[in-house]
Amino acid sequence: MTSEEIVEKVKAGLADAIQDAVLPQGDAVIFVAPDCLQKVAAFLKDDPSLKFDYLSDIRGVDYLNEERDPRFEAVYQLYSIDHQHSIRVRVGIDEENPSVPTVSELWKGALYPEQELFDMFGIHIEGHPKNERLIMPKEWVGHPLRKDYPLTTETVTFSYNRDFKSELVKSKPPTR
Amino acid sequence: MSVTEQGLLERDKDTMTLNMGPQHPSTHGVFRVILEMDGEVVKTAEPEIGYLHTGIEKNCENKRYVHVIPMTDRLDYLNPPGNNLAFCLSTEKLLGIEIPERANALRVIMCELSRIASHLVWLGTHALDIGAMTVFLYCWREREMILDLNEEVSGVRMMTSYIRVGGVAKDATRPWLDGIRDFLDYFPAKVDEYERLLTRNPIWLDRTEGIGVFTREEAINWSLSGPALRASGVNWDIRKSQPYSGYDNYSFDVPIQTNGDIYDRYRVRVEEMRQSRAIIKQAMERLPGGDYKTPDNKVSLPARETLHTSMEALIHHFKLVSEGISVPKGETYVPIEGARGEVGFYIVSDGTNVPYRVKLRAPSFMAIPGMCKAMEGCYIADVVGIIGSIDIVMGEVDR
Repeated sequence: MTSEEIVEKVKAGLADAIQDAVLPQGDAVIFVAPDCLQKVAAFLKDDPSLKFDYLSDIRGVDYLNEERDPRFEAVYQLYSIDHQHSIRVRVGIDEENPSVPTVSELWKGALYPEQELFDMFGIHIEGHPKNERLIMPKEWVGHPLRKDYPLTTETVTFSYNRDFKSELVKSKPPTR
Repeated sequence: MSVTEQGLLERDKDTMTLNMGPQHPSTHGVFRVILEMDGEVVKTAEPEIGYLHTGIEKNCENKRYVHVIPMTDRLDYLNPPGNNLAFCLSTEKLLGIEIPERANALRVIMCELSRIASHLVWLGTHALDIGAMTVFLYCWREREMILDLNEEVSGVRMMTSYIRVGGVAKDATRPWLDGIRDFLDYFPAKVDEYERLLTRNPIWLDRTEGIGVFTREEAINWSLSGPALRASGVNWDIRKSQPYSGYDNYSFDVPIQTNGDIYDRYRVRVEEMRQSRAIIKQAMERLPGGDYKTPDNKVSLPARETLHTSMEALIHHFKLVSEGISVPKGETYVPIEGARGEVGFYIVSDGTNVPYRVKLRAPSFMAIPGMCKAMEGCYIADVVGIIGSIDIVMGEVDR
């Protein structure tokens, strides 16, 4: 199916669940609210003419600088192996208690990217078997890919290097 | 009454937790897996990643588009041109520019060469993991030749950054083209040599057949991609289904196997090396003349000699060097077929010269949970075989 047909089909099948459907640069993109996500995902996977059986990727985006409401967005890239077409599902997520339901029951491949979404953006995944950090260390504070998380250097926790500077001071002959 | 019924030996709790990695040589990088063992059989496998996290995606949000390209090299460090191409295609889609035919052909040659190099590293290390030492040395010998070719055209052996937004960095040189022709003549006999060592070797068959099996549905559901998916009988190659860079003009086969075990993944990749050679051969035969990068000076630098005669060229040069490419507002994603599967960059642009958000779709990252699921019920000796057969690169897993 072409992107136009996909958008038409989704609009017809899920008129009440999707917020908007657009075609930027020829890609099919739909906007969905978090509470409708699981319903939309199940429809996209099960409908025989759409049959999006392959989850390509899930990414988070923080639109803090754009002053957009809602602030966060989770973007699901789906592909159909049989029909060779793709769709992008964009889910806006509020800044207060950011949370989105899991789709890992439909696509097992969603487990890791969803966990990364929590790690990097602090978006809680409802129903995910492991709501914990994936890439960052377990004791890490903050969510690095948020726009209000500064890009700085990491402080060195401990070092085995000798403190040459203090030794230099010590070895210096006393001045008169 | 047996020992178990008396409760003297609680077999269910008689397991051992075994840590593997992150410094284990067979984990292909710094991948750690915690195995719950019942004797020699793996009960559960819990992956642990993040040891190579360098914050590349965060860094990309603070760099100009041109400066992101060398960072993409370091993601999947065995297939840098594939990453360059994925990033450039997404950026070019947002810019809405056309790429000259010659640039497309050069991109295809570079990507296919690096696919061969990446598969050679995979075959060498995978065979070494399972215990075949010689293949490793042979594969390294041929890979050196590709790295020398990389150096000839881009000046760098591995992190080439050869593919740029709007085309490629430099035009093809005569020694490079001659070197590729020599390599194409030399290489097929060598692939046969690897196959002679492994394909019907009884030890290799014992270690690979029927192990780490993914059915078609499982492979799709766990988001495997590339050769790992095609070994499970899924006919999906992005070069065929969503062609980019003129791949629809080349005739080549997509190797498919149906058992989905380690052996089939091996067969698919070896055949892919032959097909990549066929693609390069076709690209060399019909290498078109013309520009090697887009003539649009808003995107690519004007020719050096025009700077002395054209004011406009000088202004473009100054603006590009000092400010970089400004990409229109929007978001896009273009998938390509990398050496390990679907690679693509999701780019969100806010209209400035710095990307607002860059996200890599990494095939290795997506494959890890499925890979660990496949380990369950296998013997401990097969764990390294399964890791090797999925061909993970930790650079793109941890980013």
